Amino acid sequence: MPHQCTNCGHTFPDGSKEMLSGCPDCGGNKFQFRPAGSNADSVADDAADTTASSKADASTGESVTIDPETPSAGRQTSPPETEGVGDGEVAQNDGAESPAQSTARSDVVSSSEITAAGSMGPQSTADEQSPTDQPAPTDQPAPTDTPEPDAEATADTPDDPTEESNLDELRKELNNQFESIRIVSPGQYELNLMELYDRDEYIISLREDGRYVIEVPDGWGDS
Amino acid sequence: MMGLLTNLRDSISRVTDRLFASEEPKRIGIYGPPNAGKTTLANRIARDWTGDAIGPESHVPHETRRARRKEDVSIERNGKSVSIDIVDTPGVTTKVDYKEFLDHDMEKDDAIRRSREATEGVAEAMHWLREDVDGVIYVLDSSTDPFTQVNTMLIGIIESRELPVLIFANKTDLEDSDVQRVADAFPDHETVPLSALEGNNMDEVYDKIAEYFG
Repeated sequence: MPHQCTNCGHTFPDGSKEMLSGCPDCGGNKFQFRPAGSNADSVADDAADTTASSKADASTGESVTIDPETPSAGRQTSPPETEGVGDGEVAQNDGAESPAQSTARSDVVSSSEITAAGSMGPQSTADEQSPTDQPAPTDQPAPTDTPEPDAEATADTPDDPTEESNLDELRKELNNQFESIRIVSPGQYELNLMELYDRDEYIISLREDGRYVIEVPDGWGDS
Repeated sequence: MMGLLTNLRDSISRVTDRLFASEEPKRIGIYGPPNAGKTTLANRIARDWTGDAIGPESHVPHETRRARRKEDVSIERNGKSVSIDIVDTPGVTTKVDYKEFLDHDMEKDDAIRRSREATEGVAEAMHWLREDVDGVIYVLDSSTDPFTQVNTMLIGIIESRELPVLIFANKTDLEDSDVQRVADAFPDHETVPLSALEGNNMDEVYDKIAEYFG
């Protein structure tokens, strides 16, 4: 649950644009962010609990959050025909897969989800500002390209370290593009002054564990 | 949270002021890197014209971690009165590290908290620069190198907003002070030498404030 409404607890996947118009459940406009960098495993688990579970798989290359014995547990099982709607390359690899893997990937059908996942990796602390007036992740060529080959690698070699390091590099690059405050460690921060100047929302408070709470200005997202 | 509410309330009252007052005080932000003497200057101005101080001064960097303001400071110049709101902002920097506070007899927990607050303060100051100031006094320690990334970036932002800006070359009382170096760094702007601590050259400071922000 990278983002959570502080009012009602509604959680949102990384990069969700739902928050832009306030919480759909309670209308709240304050969200806390839980960075994935410090605790990638639990975040992956959290992500698996949300409807956008497959994003964690796409971004980390770990399809292992899915238990092979319960391939359809708690998630939609898309019919094979819908596979590859946003990811044709992956569909070609179906032959040698377990049902769990294909189910896991079959959720990765939305190109917007792939894009969002690619831009928000577990190492990222830039996610806090994803709902800013920065260019939307879909405008960035890199994230749309990378998750696809990674999803293929997931099917064939789930633990390929090369893919992991490539993703790390991508995350670093995206961090450089997006983030306004980088939390190096508790008490150590790097600030991107231009980003801070450009952003719409106020930062209310940094937390010791690396989260921070932001306040969204009234009328934000209306324009 | 309270700070935000205060900000919002102030913003609203500011809009209302705009609607009903023909000439409201200009809001002048005092910006600059940490330890340039911004609070010392703000206190000097506030004490000279209102009798009150704005906030505590300190040689420890990031003493000011929340913007503080003094409203409706009336400065008399040449028989005319110029009214400004002074906003003393946290020192702007690209890196905050709690370790730099450990040298100042601070416990690690306190240093980390101070570091966090300072970072929040910079974020707030940058936000204000975008929305809440009508002019900028940019304060520099004239005994240090003015060619820094932070100075260049902030002056660039201020220029892009076309805000009136004065460069204050502070700490002229220090032996290493080099006002010309500051003036050379920002040739497009007026540089005023001063020692806010000693109160040196404050007449020219107030002349320029009245001229630029009145």
